[in-house]
Amino acid sequence: MRRIRWVRSHSTALGGEPLKPDLVLVLTYVTISAIGLLMIFSATAPGFEAAGEDPATELRSQAIWVVLGFIVFAVASTINLVELKGFASPFYLVSVVLLVLVFPLGESDGVAQRWIDLGRIQFQPSEFAKIAVILMIASILAAAERPIKWNTVAHVLVIVGVPAGLIFLQPDLGTMLVFAAVTLALLFVGGATLRQLGFLFVATVVGTVGLFQLKLIEDYQIRRLTAFIDPESHSLDATYNQVQSEIAIGSGGFFGKGLFEGTQTNLQFVPVQSSDFIFTAVGEQFGFVGSVIVIALFGVLLFRLVVIAMSARSRFAFLVTMGVAAMLAFHIFVNIGMTVRIMPVTGLPLPFMSAGGTVFVALSAALGLAHSAWIRRNSPVGE
Amino acid sequence: MVRFLSATSLFGPFLANVRDGRGMSAHIWKRGDFRLLLVGLVFILAWGGIGYRLFDLQGNQALANAEIGFDQRIKTRSIDPPRGTIYDRDGVELAMTIDGFNIVVDPMLLDDPAHAASVLAPFSSKSYEELAAEFEKGQATGHRYAEIAMRVDTQTRDIVKAAVEDAGIKGVFYRDQPLRVYPAGSVAAQVIGLTRFDDNSGIEGLERTFNSELEGRPGRMIVEVSGRGRTIPQGEVLIEESVAGSDVVTTIDREIQFAAEQALRKAIQKTSAIAGSIVVLLPETGEVVAMASWPGVDLNARSDVSPEVLRNRAVAEVYEPGSTLKMVTIAAALEEGIVTSKTPIDTPRSVTIGEFEYEDHGRNPEWMSVEDVLSRSSNVGTIEIQRRLGNEKHYEYLLAFGLGQPSGIDVAGERHGTLDPTQAWTLTSGSSIAIGYAVGATALQMAAVYATIANDGVWTEPYLVSEIIKPNGDRIRTTPRTRRVLSPETAAEMRRLLHRVVETESGTGRRAMMEDYTAGGKTGTSQKFDVDSGAYSDDTIASFIGMAPFDDPRVVVVVVLDSPRGTHPDGADLSLGGASAAPVFAEIAQIALHQLGVAPDRD
Repeated sequence: MRRIRWVRSHSTALGGEPLKPDLVLVLTYVTISAIGLLMIFSATAPGFEAAGEDPATELRSQAIWVVLGFIVFAVASTINLVELKGFASPFYLVSVVLLVLVFPLGESDGVAQRWIDLGRIQFQPSEFAKIAVILMIASILAAAERPIKWNTVAHVLVIVGVPAGLIFLQPDLGTMLVFAAVTLALLFVGGATLRQLGFLFVATVVGTVGLFQLKLIEDYQIRRLTAFIDPESHSLDATYNQVQSEIAIGSGGFFGKGLFEGTQTNLQFVPVQSSDFIFTAVGEQFGFVGSVIVIALFGVLLFRLVVIAMSARSRFAFLVTMGVAAMLAFHIFVNIGMTVRIMPVTGLPLPFMSAGGTVFVALSAALGLAHSAWIRRNSPVGE
Repeated sequence: MVRFLSATSLFGPFLANVRDGRGMSAHIWKRGDFRLLLVGLVFILAWGGIGYRLFDLQGNQALANAEIGFDQRIKTRSIDPPRGTIYDRDGVELAMTIDGFNIVVDPMLLDDPAHAASVLAPFSSKSYEELAAEFEKGQATGHRYAEIAMRVDTQTRDIVKAAVEDAGIKGVFYRDQPLRVYPAGSVAAQVIGLTRFDDNSGIEGLERTFNSELEGRPGRMIVEVSGRGRTIPQGEVLIEESVAGSDVVTTIDREIQFAAEQALRKAIQKTSAIAGSIVVLLPETGEVVAMASWPGVDLNARSDVSPEVLRNRAVAEVYEPGSTLKMVTIAAALEEGIVTSKTPIDTPRSVTIGEFEYEDHGRNPEWMSVEDVLSRSSNVGTIEIQRRLGNEKHYEYLLAFGLGQPSGIDVAGERHGTLDPTQAWTLTSGSSIAIGYAVGATALQMAAVYATIANDGVWTEPYLVSEIIKPNGDRIRTTPRTRRVLSPETAAEMRRLLHRVVETESGTGRRAMMEDYTAGGKTGTSQKFDVDSGAYSDDTIASFIGMAPFDDPRVVVVVVLDSPRGTHPDGADLSLGGASAAPVFAEIAQIALHQLGVAPDRD
């Protein structure tokens, strides 16, 4: 009985308003962003205060990005994915060119070249390359015959390989791993055979070992990746950060120390506490309860994305949504996993919470595209 | 069961609308495709993993993590109070603490290590290359500390700071490091002593003896620090107030001290002596107004400082006093009524006791009065007087005059000297001690012996610190121990006898005569015992101990020269106390008496 009533209410609403948004998704996205701003403020205010500056310095600059991200999300939500499919190739080409331009034009952050300086704004092309690659793979797999042929798999690997290789050269191992995760997830849900997936799995393992053996991966990257297993044996900054993060989160206890009472995070024992380690601010100030609420919010977000994928009418929309879901899930798991030391330090930000402009806008755009699949789930499909 | 887990039962409500048959194409997801659900399962597992880890950290290990965090944050800091000042008797600073700084760099905060090194190198003891290498190594290894210049004064700090700010360098820090300075430089260096470089605690001299008074008591404060080591202002809790160091007022008179050091240096140059010491004592009170040692050092030139130049020889060097100790033998015999000044004493050329043959210097008559025994410094005569006195009585007086025991002076490093009890005396001990051998004393002990004569027979404990001024203004004054050794009459008679040493034609101390004041005193020349060969060498310890004016002495001066050599232009042998040490006495006593405002008693 219940089920019928529910179905009815929905179908009438859809009939009248074809562009009805997924309120759960939007509210979750906005809530996470708001918590992110609060955490950034709490984690950076004491430092600015101690330095005699405006405590809201970082809050203000991030808030501008958040507003911009909201706008981008709204615009992306209205895009018709079917029409966007035609733009996948040019968008992809542009982002590859931008990735190439990082090398001659790029700004180095001391370790890697990831940024293009646009006057006052620094722009990270790899963030947009993620979206381009998702669109590209989705369009290839959407058009591919079933079952997926080996040459389609090869096509996908070439398409991913170019930007991933460029990002590897920056070097930005974390982002490269995002590409790998998204590719595997899309091939998996996109209908690759188990034999193909098995081959890819073996190839990934062999390739990784090969990179290590050929010393193509810098020493510091290896140490970063392995240090978290046995932090006592390494006195690296990366491990120090993780141990401090763990202490901060652990000291939060069950209910946390309360907002602005996060002594470990706010007193800068935890480094990059407003970007990579923003989750420690949650863990310390709001404790286990707050942490679980935050990861539950991310869970709701992913759940909605899976639901959107299930409701998609086109293979392209289905694949884009799953690609976005896989990308976000990988970011979230690797980032939070890093702060509680079950994953290595990779420098991946926590979506919608970590301070950072390009990341927030790019992920908002990606989420918006997935959202558009929901909004237009009842539109005619041209496949 | 299977049906319950199927996609329709879990997600049915969301999917229902696409199955309502409006003629649209079916959704892309097929009910039989469980790959999507498998992806969802991976998400759930990942989330569960994080949740479990959070529960472990925030539930099971929460207390431990909170404790670690607390320990990182909460530190006890000690608050060091300023160290007290050491003054001379007129309130002029001899040792004081001023603001100082250590300049250090956190290489991690440097934008351009090479540039920073080029700006800082001129102020550092390290070269540009060394600094640049240190900064880069620090950046690579995360070592956040590099020393640029240590213990600089405020002025230097300001110059460095201006240069650093002009160049726009971040990461340079100026840490407070109080500096101990000695305005008088080398004057009274061995008396004042020195503090340790790092914590300014006293390691020599008065700095060491009065360290606990000077340093005060450090307070304690609980502070909350940030991850970058910065103190959180509202996180400070004072748990123990620091107590400032007390000031120490010495009895040193800078003018007399300076004169003594100058005279000592001159004498050492003239006689090629290897070392020497001088003590100037006020006999009525026991105050030491000057205590000089050579070799010396400027206390501000830390690199020149060594244990050798910091040795306060007046208290740390034990020597055989030789003839100056004959005074004790004769004073005891007079006090005991065994002889008078005029009692004739047989003085053959030599006397043999046990295996030793004692003889006199120069040509002496066959007998002499007691007063001549002293003025001519006859060994044979003094040994005869000691024989009449007896070992037990002799020993009693030696002890009463303060020999063989610490004088009680309030400065670090005093040695007791050596004086065996009579049970340990051999056949020759009494005779040897009578003329100042087989007994060890410091210049300060000998000063106190002669001050007893000057002070009408009362031995007074010598001291260097007259007052300790506490931070609250309370003053603790020194009251020296005293004891009567001789009657005033015997003391006055002894002063007359000592006066004769200086004033009579045949006296050994004629070079101690001054233009403005009368004086009494005694020469001393002892052969140095060479430890290596186990025999007495040709080198001597030449000394003169005197007082002036002789009838009412206001100062006692001890001059000790180690191994003087050569010949005076008038032919005198400078290895003898009468030739080398006596003139130094005259020079210093004259200046000291003028400085003390004593009216000349000679026209």
